[in-house]
Amino acid sequence: MDQAAILDHQFRVAAYIATWVIQLGYLGWLGLKWRAAKRDGKR
Amino acid sequence: MKKSAILVYVVLTVALMAWGYYQAIYVAPNDAMQGEIFRIIYYHVPSASVAFLFFAISLAGSIGYLAFRRSHPERAQVADAWALAGAEVGVVFCTVVLVTGPIWGRRAWGIWWTWDARLTTTLVLWLIYVSYLLLRRFAAGPQMQTLAAVLGIFGALDVPIVYMSNRWWRTQHPAPVFGGAQGSGMDPSMVGALMWNMLAWFAWGILILALRYRVERQNQANAAAEAHAALTA
Repeated sequence: MDQAAILDHQFRVAAYIATWVIQLGYLGWLGLKWRAAKRDGKR
Repeated sequence: MKKSAILVYVVLTVALMAWGYYQAIYVAPNDAMQGEIFRIIYYHVPSASVAFLFFAISLAGSIGYLAFRRSHPERAQVADAWALAGAEVGVVFCTVVLVTGPIWGRRAWGIWWTWDARLTTTLVLWLIYVSYLLLRRFAAGPQMQTLAAVLGIFGALDVPIVYMSNRWWRTQHPAPVFGGAQGSGMDPSMVGALMWNMLAWFAWGILILALRYRVERQNQANAAAEAHAALTA
């Protein structure tokens, strides 16, 4: 693999990882919010 | 029944995501000019499409809230929950667009950002909906939902401007792949990967949209119960 192809690969991987970090981070935050809302509802 | 239907949907969505990834990485060929970074399009474009759809849902919810807030308060609360869910999940997808785009741009153009029409209108769209979420988070009182609904409607006006920006003006951002000028389009060997990822991200988006809606409805029920308890105490 030449240098340009390695850089292309790294940028592509960075974009995919950033996407999943944002999506799964939001899902995790939403899960916590859901748990808190259910707990408040039971009180 | 309901729980098993949700479970089936979740499994289908995860399978679609995995299939979409496989298509994007192993089936679609490298672009002749851009090489591997072209594959960022398989996450970037579907994220933009889902963001647009969810801002449209937020628009419908905002209009619904304003239409029903006096005549059908319960319906208005449902509409308001959809408006909030659409705006918040739309912001998440718009954030993905604004992060993956510059990563691609740095490699393709040599710069992270430029103030061209497509990029700027997308950033403005994101800022409007972040303002909407901040308003909902920090404003209090009976007028908050009404103000948010009005802001939600104005925010949605930017969506067609973002969509048309690289048709109306000359931009650094690439010309539209679909629905653009004559000769635009994508090689058939790449269309499948884009469509599978489009489907996968729509399925994923609907999943988290529904969850966000449920959370908001639960919050509304909690607030109503609290208000009722305060009145009867």
